[in-house]
Amino acid sequence: MIKTDIQVAESDQRASSGDAAFAVFEGELRRFIQDSVPVESGSERSEAREARFGRLALRLFSLQHRAVGPLFQLCQRRGIAPQDIREWRAIPALPTTAFKDYAVTSLHLEARTRVFHSSGTTGHRPSRHFHSAGSLALYEASLLPFFRAHLLRGAGQGKGEFTFLALTPSPAEAPHSSLAHMFATVIEAWGADDSAFVGAVECDGAWRVDTASTIALLRRRARIRRPVCVLGTAFAFVHLLDAMHESCLRCALPPGSRALETGGYKGLSRSVSKPDLHRQIGAALGIAPTHIVSEYGMSELGSQAYDACVPALPSARGVVDQSAHGTTGLAAAPGIETGARRSGEEDRRLCAGRSASEPAPERGRVFHFPPWARSVVVSPENGIEVREGETGLLRVFDLANVRSVLAIQTEDLAVRRGTGFELVGRAARAEPRGCSLQAVAVAT
Amino acid sequence: MQLPDYFLADIPDPTALSPAVLTDACLALKSNRRRFLANRTTADLIDVVARLAGDWMDPDNPFRREALEFGPVATGFSPETIATGLDAFFESLTVENLRELVLQDLGHPHRLERLTAGENESGRERLGFARGPELLVHIAGGVLPNPPLVSLVLGLLTRSAQLVKCASGTSFFPRLFAHSLHEVEPKLGACLEIAEWKGGTSAFESVLFAQADCISAMGEDATLTAIRERLPPGTRFLGYGSRVSFGYVAQEALSKHAAPRLAAAAAEDVAAWNQMGCLSPHVFYVENGGSVMPERFAGMLASALAAHEQSQPRGPLPAPAAAAISSRRAFYEVRAAHSNETQLWSSSGSTDWTVVFESDPRFQFSCLNRFVYVKPVANINEALQGADAIRGKVSTVGLAASGTSEQGLAQCLAQWGVTRICPLGRMQRPPLAWRHDGRPSLGDLVTWTDWELPSRW
Repeated sequence: MIKTDIQVAESDQRASSGDAAFAVFEGELRRFIQDSVPVESGSERSEAREARFGRLALRLFSLQHRAVGPLFQLCQRRGIAPQDIREWRAIPALPTTAFKDYAVTSLHLEARTRVFHSSGTTGHRPSRHFHSAGSLALYEASLLPFFRAHLLRGAGQGKGEFTFLALTPSPAEAPHSSLAHMFATVIEAWGADDSAFVGAVECDGAWRVDTASTIALLRRRARIRRPVCVLGTAFAFVHLLDAMHESCLRCALPPGSRALETGGYKGLSRSVSKPDLHRQIGAALGIAPTHIVSEYGMSELGSQAYDACVPALPSARGVVDQSAHGTTGLAAAPGIETGARRSGEEDRRLCAGRSASEPAPERGRVFHFPPWARSVVVSPENGIEVREGETGLLRVFDLANVRSVLAIQTEDLAVRRGTGFELVGRAARAEPRGCSLQAVAVAT
Repeated sequence: MQLPDYFLADIPDPTALSPAVLTDACLALKSNRRRFLANRTTADLIDVVARLAGDWMDPDNPFRREALEFGPVATGFSPETIATGLDAFFESLTVENLRELVLQDLGHPHRLERLTAGENESGRERLGFARGPELLVHIAGGVLPNPPLVSLVLGLLTRSAQLVKCASGTSFFPRLFAHSLHEVEPKLGACLEIAEWKGGTSAFESVLFAQADCISAMGEDATLTAIRERLPPGTRFLGYGSRVSFGYVAQEALSKHAAPRLAAAAAEDVAAWNQMGCLSPHVFYVENGGSVMPERFAGMLASALAAHEQSQPRGPLPAPAAAAISSRRAFYEVRAAHSNETQLWSSSGSTDWTVVFESDPRFQFSCLNRFVYVKPVANINEALQGADAIRGKVSTVGLAASGTSEQGLAQCLAQWGVTRICPLGRMQRPPLAWRHDGRPSLGDLVTWTDWELPSRW
């Protein structure tokens, strides 16, 4: 079996010598992040910024090579030493599956105060991403400015301008969820006092949305002028939308309300395409298409990618697809609309060069990481970056992953789009699963 | 080569297909069968099939050339893989093998023509006549060319009108084969129909289910269950669900002299149809204690796969399939960097082939396309324990053993539930008389009439 314990001990030994060096690096990274703010998706990358990213990436790799056991072992197997790597794209990427088998960290055992697990189906080992107080602070330093650039552009710096509604459990209920932590961090930074988590963890570990209380909350929020920012997984949104649909309810959240949606539909009986989901969110909650943003993140990363920016100025509610719901007859409380479509003022603002009234383009939406992280789409055949418009596996180089590894090989299929990527889907899972014939489609 | 619009699948416009068109096609097939097929003799039909197979073996045969030229685009297999697979199939379609199949499954060469007594039936007190379905519908699944072609040959022997329903984009080989038959025997070709549509098109399938008296289907278990539930009570259903296969190498077979040859044979099994069939191995269990250790055998298998790549390249893969291999390799590469209990050999700069040596004896599904596991075991019991989760779902075990142990191993595998045991290198080359999933393929198609003779006879 795998010698995880031995590996952990070795990792500890290496880590003890590197803490100071990591601290120095963290300081430099924070300056890089500050210098990059305000940030925007897909903004031009200056040569100086590129060079700075490259220098930091190589330095961090050199530190991690010494201090992170699994990375060291992989490099040894490949016969790679840090001095052999001259360009950040050549830094060996550790697959996300390595986080299941090994402690991919340079943190001492006692410094590991928090661990984020990947979400997974029951019976499968999750990835483990260890954090200390310091690495969590860095996670937050990476999260907040880029989140703000995409969801809260033009908003004031203080708390109270938005009510956040997270369709996930709170960190207290889901302490190993990086997503719950992400939402809590955002709420802590900018959320009004009536912000809330409306998800719960069931006995089997699955998450569910308390739809009844969520709908009640939405009703109350709809009466107040303060815009709402709804945060959740695609799974949770579908759950909520189904409940609203069953009750023939829809809701007109205050102007300027917005939504952040992330992740897939694991375990859900039905899946909805992203454009459909966004249309349904728009129709059910009264959120303009320009105000719905998708996020790409994972527990193994310290930074997140987004596919759109909510326009900066306070906006009237955009046009909502009127055909998404059939007519219904149930009258509801103020703010919750039934059946008949309200008239909406068209969002006059432009976002990413596209007017709100224009239909979404056929091709998928393009995600971008912040300037301190990079996505590279590599050919599954040879690991070399694919050409523009080609499909491959997404590899992420994330400087905010200071105490784990900065280069992560995901199992996600993506199309290279400029400096960003369009998400296509997930490759068949690499990790061996229990012997279920359903696990692999077996030809006959 | 411009194929005429003879079969439904030849018509490029999918909107041309409707329940009414399909009903007419079924009725025409049945009528043609009565006129052109029902009264043919078995010997005659065997002769037609064997001659047709001989034609396909000829490098200048236009249908074969078409298959090799356009098959790679239609199926994703390289020309060399297609040529090897087609040869393995057509060379088994000899007069002798076809006769043997009839004799094996039906007991007498004339069973399908008249009431006869089999040689092994005692006292000649009973005669039997085997009657094939009037309309036999095949619902083809999977990506391999051979299975629907075997189905068509069996249906010809039972004098059945036949319709092969292919999933979208998979009718290339059945169409070519049907056209080749139509060219040499247009009347027999008139008893075949090839159609293609997306599975689950309920209105079309309802026509088939109402018209056919026997349906054979290959596919996922859930697909088969869905079909079975929709059939009228009197319709015979032959479902061939998902199966997997593995290899077993006994220690006494692993002499230094024999091991490279065995590794080459194992590579042949992995490379055949790019491992996409239910007869393709996912895992080779290799006994410890031979002159060549299992790790060494894994290395030899890797070398053999590399050699195969030269003579019979796998061909390009779509991104998701390549990504599945790449991701799985990355997973095992990290493990291999930490422990000798996992080792990895793989083609450089491509996903062409991969061998994972893993000491854990649990059976592991491959992601296919020439990705195979080698697992060391002490004995057959350890291997079968490791494979317990797939018990009852195993089609073929490729066995390399010798001497006294061979019989015992085969018996052990048979009692455990394996339905076919063959030498390494022949896993994807089942004989024509192979009992598919343990059932008599021809025998399952027919309905018998027994005539019990009065004692005066």
